[in-house]
Amino acid sequence: MRRGKYPFIIGFLIVPVALYCTFVVAAYLQTFQLSLSSWSGLGPIEYVGFDNFTKLWHDELFWKSIRHNIFLLVLLPIVTIILAMVFAFLLNVGGGHRGGTTRGVWGSKVYRVIFFFPQLLALAIVAVIFGRVFGPDKSGMLNGLFPESWKPWLFLADERYAMLCILIVLIWQAVGFYVVLFSAGMGSIPAEIYEAAALDGATRITLFFRITIPLLWNTVQVAWVYLGIAAFDAFALVNIMTVDRGGPNGASSVLSLMIYRNAFEFSQAGYASALGVVLFFLTLTFAALTLRVTRRDSVEA
Amino acid sequence: MVAVAPAVRRKRAKSTDDGVLTVGRSRAGTIAANTAGILFSVFMLFPVYWVLNTAFKPANEVLSLTPTLLPKDPTFDNFVSAFRAPLFLENMLNGVIVTLLAVAGALVVGFLAALSIARFKFYGRKAIILVVLVVQLIPFISLLIPLFLMLQQAKLTNSLIGVSITYLVLILPYTVWTLRGFISGIPRELDEAALIDGCSRAQVFWRIILPLTGPGLVATSVYGFIQAWNEFIIINTLNSPDKQNLMAWLLQNQTTRGTAWGPLMAGAIITSIPVVIFFLIIQRNIATGLTAGAVKG
Repeated sequence: MRRGKYPFIIGFLIVPVALYCTFVVAAYLQTFQLSLSSWSGLGPIEYVGFDNFTKLWHDELFWKSIRHNIFLLVLLPIVTIILAMVFAFLLNVGGGHRGGTTRGVWGSKVYRVIFFFPQLLALAIVAVIFGRVFGPDKSGMLNGLFPESWKPWLFLADERYAMLCILIVLIWQAVGFYVVLFSAGMGSIPAEIYEAAALDGATRITLFFRITIPLLWNTVQVAWVYLGIAAFDAFALVNIMTVDRGGPNGASSVLSLMIYRNAFEFSQAGYASALGVVLFFLTLTFAALTLRVTRRDSVEA
Repeated sequence: MVAVAPAVRRKRAKSTDDGVLTVGRSRAGTIAANTAGILFSVFMLFPVYWVLNTAFKPANEVLSLTPTLLPKDPTFDNFVSAFRAPLFLENMLNGVIVTLLAVAGALVVGFLAALSIARFKFYGRKAIILVVLVVQLIPFISLLIPLFLMLQQAKLTNSLIGVSITYLVLILPYTVWTLRGFISGIPRELDEAALIDGCSRAQVFWRIILPLTGPGLVATSVYGFIQAWNEFIIINTLNSPDKQNLMAWLLQNQTTRGTAWGPLMAGAIITSIPVVIFFLIIQRNIATGLTAGAVKG
């Protein structure tokens, strides 16, 4: 396979590489370039150095948005991974062992489909539905379920709970995917390991912490990165669901929403680009840190 | 955690009479596990149920202050009015065109790229793999401005082609990554055997690797389909309403029509049907598709 491989390599890779150079590399370079300008989105481009970044440093909404992104970044992966782990474990190993095979709880196939279902609904639809779930008056789904005498909860219209509502929806949407992902990982753990541990007297809890989690560590790491990225984005939900888009009073604003609104609504393409640069570096830093911090010697399975 | 707690009390595994090993199978534990599963299923399914419920209710029942668990007079009116709503059919067709173009393009481009990464060693291979990974990670939203400018210069805004290309770029990393996993799983001995039997290298790719990558192609195309079909931010930004897809239609109608929940939910159901069908087709293999790309180094 030595002679004449380069024609193939070049032929096969030229299209994707060209696409990436224009759509991603060049686009990012342009974002960096625009972040140094005061461009509105139309007309001539005027360069202003690092003015956008100083403005950003003093922008209260920017810091609020960062705080909200960090809130999601901490809670979304933790809660989702714990829930998905527990349920994947129940579905795969929860029924215990009998006759030499590991079983899931009764009906585990049905659960697997149900948990995956939200993954099929587009974020646009999910956002519309949950807008109704969290409706701030009696016609809202949750408020409708509460007793008649209760004052309606404001949910998204309450500054204190707006981000919590967003978090719940993100978890609802994501958890099924990770149940399936972890299930696949658990399925590939050899049954003999569980059996050996069981012979030694391990309970289900011990099996979970001493065997499942260490052997699934790589998958957890991948899940953590993906969920973190989702926490950095969250644009669709915040844009559609929240009061005044990111409100009330900036209580649910996130970076991606700020970028979009500055770029396409406030005619602040330069400022939006500066925010884009910040988002770029935050995401990369997060991914690199996660991969480094969670690195462990993998266990030979 | 609650679900497995009762198992703690059983410190040791018991041998049953027939000598079969039984572990942690306390009845209480099983009941707790099933209860947790059912409760969680309700949490997962309730909103979906509500969509279905609303879509089949006549208008007067939708806004009733005493909502019923099931429609009293189930009706298809909402579906009919969704289909008759302005731009619904046009936007549906747009969605189909854009999705098919993007997925077909991504499969061809992605398969060839995956092939060269999986089967050849060359300078810059690692860099390409790294770029593919990183691109997947960065929120696309920070690229919207340059994307808009570029497509505008190429006269591709407000066109289905421009959106298709963008979607292709969007789903390509996953396609390459997953297909690469599938192709690395095919033993090289097969290639070599075919080469010895007189196949050219192109024939090896076409006759050996392509057919064996079949399940991978299905898995990636379904994933790509879901991504492209469900996307709305890009199409909403680049195109005017008559050149958008059903997701954008839904949002447009949510804001302009406010309270017409019945037709809106009917529209949401129609929009989700293709994805559900594809999901049911590959449901069995979904886990394989998800992990295939991740394993091999």
